[in-house]
Amino acid sequence: MSQFEPKILAFLCNWCSYAGADLAGVSRIQYPPNIRVVRTMCSGRVDPLFIIQAMQDGFDGVFVGGCHLGDCHYQEGNYHTLRRMDMLGQLLDESGVGRDHVHLRWASAAEAQPFADYVTEVTETIRKLGPFDKEKHRLALASLARSLSGSRLRWLVGIERQVTEKLNVYQEKTDPAQFKKILQEAVQAEYQKAMIQELLAAGPVTVREMSEKTGLPIYTVSVRLNELERVGMADIAGFDGRTPKFVSPAV
Amino acid sequence: MANASENKTIGSVMVVGAGVAGIQASLDMANAGYYVHLLDSSPSIGGLMAQLDKTFPTNDCAMCVISPFLVEVGRHLNINIISNSELETLEGEAGAFRATLRNNPRYIDAEKCTACGQCRDVCPVTAVNEFDCKLDLRKATYIKYPQAVPLAYKIDRSICIGCGMCEKVCLAQAIFYDDKPRQTTVEVGAVVLAMGNDVFNPSAFDTYNYANHPNVVTSLEFERILSASGPYKGHLMRPYDRQIPEKIAWMQCVGSRDINRADNSYCSSVCCMYSIKQTLIAKEHAETPLDTAVFYMDMRTYGKEFDKYYMRAQDGGVRFIRARVHTIEPAADGDLKIRYVRESGELKEETFNMVVLAVGLTPSKDAEALAKRIGIDLNTHRYAKTNDLSPVSTSRKGVYVCGTFQGPKDIPQSVMEASAAAAQATQNLSQARWTLTRTKELPPEKDFSGQEPRIGVFVCNCGINIGGVADVPAVREYARSLPNVIHVEDNLFTCSQDTQENIKKVIVEKGINRVVVASCSPRTHEPLFQETIRETGLNKYLFEMANIRDQNTWVHMHNPERATAKAKDLVRMAVAKAAYVEPLQQVILEVKPAVLVVGGGVAGMEAALGVARQGYQAYLVERSNQLGGVAHHLRVTWQGEAVAPYLKQLIADVQSHERVQVFLETEVKHITGTIGNFITTIASENGNGKTSILEHGAAILATGGKEYKPTEYLYGKHPNVLTHFDLDQAITEESDTLKNAKMAVFIQCVGSRTPEHPYCSRVCCTHSLKSALTLKKMNPEMKIFILYRDIRSYGFREDLYKEAREKGVQFVRYDPENPPNLISDEQNNLSLTVKDHILQRPLEIKPDIVILAAAILANENKKFFEIFKVPTNSDGFLVEAHAKLRPVDFGSEGLFLAGLAHYPKSLDESIAQARAAVSRTMNIVSKKGILVGGVVATVNSDRCAACLTCVRTCPYHIPRIGEEGYAVIEPAECHGCGICVSECPGKAISLQHFTDEQINAKTDALFSAA
Repeated sequence: MSQFEPKILAFLCNWCSYAGADLAGVSRIQYPPNIRVVRTMCSGRVDPLFIIQAMQDGFDGVFVGGCHLGDCHYQEGNYHTLRRMDMLGQLLDESGVGRDHVHLRWASAAEAQPFADYVTEVTETIRKLGPFDKEKHRLALASLARSLSGSRLRWLVGIERQVTEKLNVYQEKTDPAQFKKILQEAVQAEYQKAMIQELLAAGPVTVREMSEKTGLPIYTVSVRLNELERVGMADIAGFDGRTPKFVSPAV
Repeated sequence: MANASENKTIGSVMVVGAGVAGIQASLDMANAGYYVHLLDSSPSIGGLMAQLDKTFPTNDCAMCVISPFLVEVGRHLNINIISNSELETLEGEAGAFRATLRNNPRYIDAEKCTACGQCRDVCPVTAVNEFDCKLDLRKATYIKYPQAVPLAYKIDRSICIGCGMCEKVCLAQAIFYDDKPRQTTVEVGAVVLAMGNDVFNPSAFDTYNYANHPNVVTSLEFERILSASGPYKGHLMRPYDRQIPEKIAWMQCVGSRDINRADNSYCSSVCCMYSIKQTLIAKEHAETPLDTAVFYMDMRTYGKEFDKYYMRAQDGGVRFIRARVHTIEPAADGDLKIRYVRESGELKEETFNMVVLAVGLTPSKDAEALAKRIGIDLNTHRYAKTNDLSPVSTSRKGVYVCGTFQGPKDIPQSVMEASAAAAQATQNLSQARWTLTRTKELPPEKDFSGQEPRIGVFVCNCGINIGGVADVPAVREYARSLPNVIHVEDNLFTCSQDTQENIKKVIVEKGINRVVVASCSPRTHEPLFQETIRETGLNKYLFEMANIRDQNTWVHMHNPERATAKAKDLVRMAVAKAAYVEPLQQVILEVKPAVLVVGGGVAGMEAALGVARQGYQAYLVERSNQLGGVAHHLRVTWQGEAVAPYLKQLIADVQSHERVQVFLETEVKHITGTIGNFITTIASENGNGKTSILEHGAAILATGGKEYKPTEYLYGKHPNVLTHFDLDQAITEESDTLKNAKMAVFIQCVGSRTPEHPYCSRVCCTHSLKSALTLKKMNPEMKIFILYRDIRSYGFREDLYKEAREKGVQFVRYDPENPPNLISDEQNNLSLTVKDHILQRPLEIKPDIVILAAAILANENKKFFEIFKVPTNSDGFLVEAHAKLRPVDFGSEGLFLAGLAHYPKSLDESIAQARAAVSRTMNIVSKKGILVGGVVATVNSDRCAACLTCVRTCPYHIPRIGEEGYAVIEPAECHGCGICVSECPGKAISLQHFTDEQINAKTDALFSAA
């Protein structure tokens, strides 16, 4: 039986990793034929939603390449990439998809061999994971897309450097550990709520049904559901005996 | 009046804590001529009551009854709310204190904030929501609850990451991150402490699994679950899985009457009643049948109408199980298994879907620290120490206390004390009354009579709250097309200070004579706009509002087109009514600066003396030939203070005070007039029949009560069967019968909680405990039994119960179906049999004396109460205006009540209520005049047939048939509900500002689209 050949989407920044990839070509450095490259001007252009979109489309993994930290053509773009990808990693772990499907590497325009090595390494890693079953992860991917579309995570990731490294609005630095904790809580909350919202959209559905489908503990579903109710994103549709059924509110 | 600056008496007061007690104290003092600084550490006022769903025993919605008080405080010219602040030090002395405050930063300007909530929506940080008792989350930018006063957000700096998003979305530019803690000082003549209490945290009770199981909730959490504004919007559901519970158990005394795990040996006084309330409300809320069980030690339903409420719950199928539960264990599917021991010793197990822990009140750590800072003594339970005979005074002169910082108590008792504290705090400040209060100088009203309506319409965007949904410019332009409209504009915030100035300018420039504002709710904002137009000389009734936010854009957010259409409809309706509104004149009636007090017992004397000490004339009318009432029969208060010397002094003070006129052997024959101006005829009953006419602005009824003369248990037939009064006398006289007695038996509930008197007399358990201890002291060898149904030693009185048990007093519970049987043999030896519930067999004892805890009855005053037209309940006690928030007022304005005539109560409670009544009368008699008229009913005499329909209909008994033969409705008394108007067969009554014409104009306008 032939070995599994993963389909990998790569986002490479114009100035470093894309140039590094070109140099690999010029230098005839060989690497596995599994990646398909999309060129962006900066790795900072890679919206985490692109990555989820790729997984939904059927890619088995995603590779993101940027300039080394400090070398960004746009000064600090890759710092943003780094934080965003870290947040995405947390989300992927939270969702059960796992962060091993997505890899971030820095490769300069001169690093043809390292680039080829990264591609090889990432391809092997993803190959070992086996084919990505997008149908099995349908709820997870939809929930990831939903939580990444909301403003809370995007805002938090975007503001992190400002408040932890420069100054926050109180002219102080926010404690990075505190920020990290808040981001972790937000990742978990947004993902869990997104899953529940996906189920509510196809509702009516009970708390226990949601718990079964999401794998979340019953009480966690109850708590997150209530958060959604409090902001008008969930509603009781009716009762089945003593069991309430919930839906997304009619718009 | 003396010069205030000369003797340094300051005409302002500070109230610390803005819960229901602090609010009441503030309103009382501000309405009686003092400037009030109302301090609270929280960002908004309202306290614990705002968190409650319903209140016992009337099942009123807590928020509905407290919210008008919040609004009144928020808008009061003479109450300065200092939120988010703490009292650091208090220097000086009574009459002239200097208080240093720490004002904590809010980071949001409360003046500018419109509470639109944009900052909350975008805030990325969450924290547990304390207001919902951690059942859900809030943001770092938050408001405590939607009805909060001041209605302004705050940033919780402890969790804020400083991202700056809220500032970006705040259109009112209310966010200021460079806010800093500040220190301010205020000078006040007196201080009232009303910091309240905390609620016991049962996490330490590991066998109850509160910390580990979401379906074990505290009673306050359950309150939030029941609340329509709570996490589940009033649907009864359990937290774990949102199932509707089928069976709920309540555990009483969690954190109360417990020194093993809780450190609180006292009874929290409120839990029995709120648990019963919760069982009843839960049953009402449940969409499917609900089984409720209350596990308790003693059912303490000792207040007015409480026992009937308890019986209602029993009749409604609530199971009351006398047992202490030791473990609550998780069972399958989120259920909980309870193990308990019945009184008979039998071990039982039962599974419930949910368990509510009736948590007690516990002293507030912050309040304790504050008391230490300012030098206030605390009692052993860490509450403010007070004496029974001076119930609201702290150990520091000029500093008073009310509410649950003094001890656990319910809302009416807190409110009563609040008024009492207000009276005491201001008693020595009367020379500075009205010296620091503010009044608004207003221009004379312009006369627009005969002029066509010239209407100005102001449409509010409310940031994006209205403008983000409805098309405000379209609404504005639409308004321009309506009849009589001569000016339209839209504002970012119509309520902002600069817009007020602009409105005034436009009114004058364009000669506008009617104003319509289309914005939020008139409930919160009408007074503001009315004030604004009044400042230009427009009568405040020439105003109408269209609620296009709370009842439109907020509820049709996803339907902008229809929201715009609805906004147009609402504006059209408001403009249509505005064309018909007329200026209403409120007239000032002079007030007679005197108070009539009826009843010369302790309550009546305290009331009369209080009024006199406030600087006003008091007339004290007593039908017997001596002052003092039933207090003559009392020996000591429950804390052991001697009654006789106090009573002697009180009588002497009353008799010698130049502003108290005492009428003994006198009865009230007739009363006419209204609030501020009563004329009462009194007649001497001592044979000479002399009558006098008294003019007074208010009256306090303190007609007292009496001890029930038992017909049971050989009373009156055997010399050694005594009532409490008899026993007090025997102790005072050191009678030999007592000294020689080897065994004494107290029988509780004699005449109370019976079919004839289905109420608890409140004081008897405490009196028996206190007396038993006295007997034990006299003769430690004496065997003492107390035969009881429930021991109701509420609050710190529980200490007496504890001590009595420690001293060997034996408690035997009996059932009303099997009451004790007392007989006397030929040698006059007493013998008593009672069934012991623990041993499950009859107990036979041979007491030497038997003391009957006889009920307290209201004095019979039917005729007298009819003269005053004040109502009594089925037990003969006077009925107050509102069981919770107006416990000393009658429904009829200007009349107040105090003492046993209201309900059985202990001496400290009577004194407090009498002083509360004093404070309430000061709200009337201290004023030069009272404003009457406005939204009141008026009678067209030509059409009145004197059919009495209005007389029967009025909930306040205001209309009467006058001497001319048609109905008269006193504008000073009318509450303005309009019920009589719609009932009047001859359509002879109209309600001003809500006339048929005005209301019909609105409905007609809806179907006559321009």
